[in-house]
Amino acid sequence: MGTINSAYALISGALNADQEALSVVANNVANANTPGYTEETPDWQENQAITVGGVSIGDGVSETGATSQRDLVLEQRLNQQQQLASASGTRLTALNDMQALFTPDSGSSSATAGDIGSDITNFFDSFSSLESDPTDNALRQSVLSSASTLAGDISGAAASLNSQSTALNQEASGVASQVNSLTGAIAQLNQQIQSTSPDADAGTLEDQRQQDLSQLSQLVGINQVTTENNGLSITTTSGQLLVSEGSNYQLTTGTVNGVTDFFLGGTDITSDLRTGGGELGGYLTARDQDIPDALSSLDQLADSISTEVNAQNNSGTDLDGVSGTAANPLYIFNQPGAVAGSAAGMKVAMTDPNQIAAAGAGDGTGDNSNAVSMASLAKQPIVNGQTPINQYSSFVSTLGSTVLQVQTENTAQNASVTQLQTQNNALSSVNLNDEAAAMSTMESSYQAASQVFTMLNTIMASALNLGEQATVS
Amino acid sequence: MQEFKPGREEPELKALVVEASQALARLDRGRLEELSVSCEALNRNLPALTAAGRGELARQAREAVEDLAVFARVLDATRANLKVMGRLRELRTIRLEYSERQVSGWGGPESGHGNH
Repeated sequence: MGTINSAYALISGALNADQEALSVVANNVANANTPGYTEETPDWQENQAITVGGVSIGDGVSETGATSQRDLVLEQRLNQQQQLASASGTRLTALNDMQALFTPDSGSSSATAGDIGSDITNFFDSFSSLESDPTDNALRQSVLSSASTLAGDISGAAASLNSQSTALNQEASGVASQVNSLTGAIAQLNQQIQSTSPDADAGTLEDQRQQDLSQLSQLVGINQVTTENNGLSITTTSGQLLVSEGSNYQLTTGTVNGVTDFFLGGTDITSDLRTGGGELGGYLTARDQDIPDALSSLDQLADSISTEVNAQNNSGTDLDGVSGTAANPLYIFNQPGAVAGSAAGMKVAMTDPNQIAAAGAGDGTGDNSNAVSMASLAKQPIVNGQTPINQYSSFVSTLGSTVLQVQTENTAQNASVTQLQTQNNALSSVNLNDEAAAMSTMESSYQAASQVFTMLNTIMASALNLGEQATVS
Repeated sequence: MQEFKPGREEPELKALVVEASQALARLDRGRLEELSVSCEALNRNLPALTAAGRGELARQAREAVEDLAVFARVLDATRANLKVMGRLRELRTIRLEYSERQVSGWGGPESGHGNH
């Protein structure tokens, strides 16, 4: 009887296995359009041989659950590229906003905010105009008016940069909350997956965890380490633990020197997060690097112009025959106390145009020698060894190059993400492509693209060379 | 030989380079092969360009420089992705071979159980 039962178990076991396999297939079909769903294939496990009448009959087979065809190597590469693309995309948005502050609208007048280059030229040109008639009130008013426009545009740009920094600060804090929520969810999933494996595959749970990991990768730079029983530990790219199997560690925030810093277990990891990637990396790079760099350039410009112009005006004689003194200086701009913050605080201090010291010290009020000196400041290296307009041009040009560089990185990283998603879909998702075909497509596409690149490179080099020859001839 | 008339019958170089980057991102081998043929034709026509054609092509080349840099980066990324895929294939092959050895081991003469 025992042998009959064994034989029956053998047959019914096979039937059950078929049934379960069918349900796995049905599950794949039903979830074909579910984002993040990974195809499952049934696992077949050999059973012990069954002896009937002294003859061993097969091993039988039973289904032990489904193993998802996900591939950690590919998924980790995808997550890594997503982190980079996400960081450069976030940074690019911030850089574009910054660049807009220094890009005059087409057809704008010099009074338009952002046209600081024209403001600098107009301001020093107003002294050149004053040279022709140093006693003319309208020309003196024009000097103060152009000074006011210049100071207003520089301080306005600095205020906009500070506002942008505040907004990025808030965005970064918001990302930290999302990170905490996702690491909490992943820790819970780890517990569930580990309690399921290795006896059975936790396909749906692993898909959910993979989706959470993908989201987390877009927010912050992470490394993953697979642990026992299909568990997972997650660290930041510099190694601080965010998730250790069933436990997660919360990112906290605190204000340090007026900005939000990020802590993990009491350690300030802001600089690690900045270089780590993800949206948070992008926000922090813009907040802590790009904006301070721009503000520093504007501060140097504002400080040098204010200090040098004030000193030159103070050394001359105004229309009332007064010369500046330490106690009663003749300052056009408010005198900066320090370089940092000069741009935000730049404004015109002088209200009486008669105080413009166009005449040289000891000369009559009709003299123009100090106006000549003030106009010539435009051509002197008064801002870190550069003329004011050259320093500003250099700053705008550097910003433009940074934007282009980050744009290039971002476009290439997004292309890489697209490629990897295509490969990942071919491998893990519910479709009929097989891996070898996907790999072959990738290889041949790469070869074709290499040929195109070589030819384009040659054509462009020749075109530039031929163009120069054409221009010369 | 047909004169290069940029901006009319022929696409601008910039458009060609951008299209190549996008096709590579999509792993569109067919489109890349078409672009390769276009580039060959363009390359062949270079020596016959008039002075005006050369000047125009030089302008287009200057405008396309940034996009060629993007294309180069996408190529780099593809090379890295290919390495990852190659490593994956290696791992799978090892896994497969290991599993085959296991199966043959189970079925071998020294096996004391299983199908006989």
